[in-house]
Amino acid sequence: MNSRFAALALALLFAVARADAAPGQYETLDYYVQQMIAAAAAKDATGAQTFREQLEQLARPEAGDSAKAQPHRRQGSDYLNQNQLKEALAAFRQAFIFDPADREIARQLGLTYLRLNRLKEAERLSVYALSLAPAQAPAWLILGEIYGQAGDGQRAAGAFVNAYRCAENPAQLAETLRRLASTSRAPALQEGVRLALEITGSEADAKPAAGPTMPAPAPEAPAPTTAPISAAGSAAKAGSPIISGPAAASAPTPAHPEAISGVLGMIARRLESLAGPTGKAGPEPGAPAAARAEAESPGQRIYRRGIPLTCLIATSRDGKTANLGSGLLVSADGHVITNQHVIEKTGNLAVRCGGRESAATVLKRSKKPDLALLATALTLPDAFVFNESYSQTLIGQDVFVIGNPYGLEGTFSTGVISGLREIDGVRHLQISAPVSPGNSGGPVMLADGTVIGIAAMGLKAGQNLNFAIASVEVIASGLFDPSRMQRRPPVAP
Amino acid sequence: MNTLRYWLIPLLALGLSGPPARAQNSEQSRYYIQQMIELAAAHDENGVTTLRRVLEQNPRPSPVDADAARTALNRGLAALEQNEPTAALSAFQQAGRNDPGNIDAISHLGLLYRKLNRLKEAEIALQQALALDPTRAVAWFQIAQVYGLQNDGRRALGALANTYRFAQNPMRAEEILRNIAENEAADTLRNAALETLRLYRLPAQAVIVPPSTPNAAIAPLKAPANPARLHPTQAAP
Repeated sequence: MNSRFAALALALLFAVARADAAPGQYETLDYYVQQMIAAAAAKDATGAQTFREQLEQLARPEAGDSAKAQPHRRQGSDYLNQNQLKEALAAFRQAFIFDPADREIARQLGLTYLRLNRLKEAERLSVYALSLAPAQAPAWLILGEIYGQAGDGQRAAGAFVNAYRCAENPAQLAETLRRLASTSRAPALQEGVRLALEITGSEADAKPAAGPTMPAPAPEAPAPTTAPISAAGSAAKAGSPIISGPAAASAPTPAHPEAISGVLGMIARRLESLAGPTGKAGPEPGAPAAARAEAESPGQRIYRRGIPLTCLIATSRDGKTANLGSGLLVSADGHVITNQHVIEKTGNLAVRCGGRESAATVLKRSKKPDLALLATALTLPDAFVFNESYSQTLIGQDVFVIGNPYGLEGTFSTGVISGLREIDGVRHLQISAPVSPGNSGGPVMLADGTVIGIAAMGLKAGQNLNFAIASVEVIASGLFDPSRMQRRPPVAP
Repeated sequence: MNTLRYWLIPLLALGLSGPPARAQNSEQSRYYIQQMIELAAAHDENGVTTLRRVLEQNPRPSPVDADAARTALNRGLAALEQNEPTAALSAFQQAGRNDPGNIDAISHLGLLYRKLNRLKEAEIALQQALALDPTRAVAWFQIAQVYGLQNDGRRALGALANTYRFAQNPMRAEEILRNIAENEAADTLRNAALETLRLYRLPAQAVIVPPSTPNAAIAPLKAPANPARLHPTQAAP
């Protein structure tokens, strides 16, 4: 009995100790992937190749039911192309559950998470996809973008170098990287691309990326674009061995062309949309303008017309960003109207409208109504038209709001006019369109695209009880020469 | 204290298990399964591993007629395929009687009981299956659903934690858990999946459950006498 107990106890102890020591499956995969990244970033092509071979030698997961998975995968791809991300996630997830050994499904699931800005999930799925096939250039590209979005330029660079080395057409991949850098507003991603091009020797062809001259507002706001990557991932960077060796680039490994072109296209489209307001909100960017306008919904039309004329206003004091707000271009020579409280007690002002930036100066300001007029160097052939209506007939009409809540530039929301309110003697419109801090000074438009008010405040209590200074007050304020202002007189009821 | 428990559990297990003929004591095995669930919910890796080893020491019950059990199992699977639950149930029961160690038969019996909403019987059958193979992730998943249906969140969490722990492909299990955590309609199971992901520090996104319909009688929609202050919609950096 005693010897039986001793043997069992020893066996148990051994088992317990082994369970503690054994790393999880994902951690093992992640270790090799991170080593490949570290080696690539350290210009150690041999090291990256060694770790890649080790990754390839790991046991592959059991194949699932491909016949059941493929219809879901195709459906997911369709949804992804239509930018229906939640639907794409559901479809790819189902496909992945049916067949977790399919690298394409795993990669596309990772890409969908990336597009949903769920960076941790995106990282895990991309690492897993790479463990299934470590020479997938598109998966490396996605992983690089994930790290870039997460603010880790070094790891982004390593992943991009691996993408380059796995690409069937490295020159094309370098071009994709350059495009990525020029369209992305994530500094770490731009840095990652720059480093990767330098490491791969492709920087000579690199065209200078058009970096924003205005400090990017996103990090100042609680923007969801900078979700931290898992601790496991960062630990790998810190703990990766220093591998020295010849910096000679390994020969490009055959990749999977069928996958690369699709994914690069998708990434390019996504980056185009992330690059900020472009005014290309139509359903068919290449279609003739008339056909496109016909196919658009009122919201799409208003967004397309309004976005180049809506401005992000950043104020700074003592060298630090103080406030973010919105504004609207009211003249072809660059006059911008916003709320007074946006620019209150500020040192410097910067304005970005339709992708162009300028410093700004305050020409006029008033506390009642809460308005300010700014002068900028921006010239545009177009400006907003103010609608002078202010009557009960407005109640129930649809309104459309463009602004920069919490620095989320060009956010579009809709609602209705819920009421007419006079607050401190100033005529306001009560609207149900969601607005948040950062929307102040932005246009509130009717379905015909005219500006009916300027977003100004909201009630903290309740839901969607927001207020815009009526356009009629903007005109009456004399802030801006009414003769220079494009106005639409009220329509007789 | 924890270290002491790891020594005591195998000691007790050994003391209680006695001669091999009595080893497959269903009550005792069920107790261990419950302990595995409890320890898993507390994220006690060592405790779960220890109990798993204890269960694996148990000898399998001898079959009465293994061939007849296999035949009945196949009959049950065919009936299940044909969507004939009554015939399937009878066949799986028969298979279980002919071979109490036939884990496929027992776990299918548990699955079928769950589908038929006979939750208590489903729980017993699945516990029996897990006693035979405590690393069977599918059975852990089934029993988690049973506990979810019984609104037993703690045990659903423990069972889902073991599902993940013993999953052949943890990434697949992770996505299944995420799917449940984001899409399952039943609160208990959805929350248990979310907690499981958090337990393993896996990325998880809680879904926003719509608020229940307000009851005007309880909360009259009366505006406060002192109107709420307006605040400018200006972003602080």
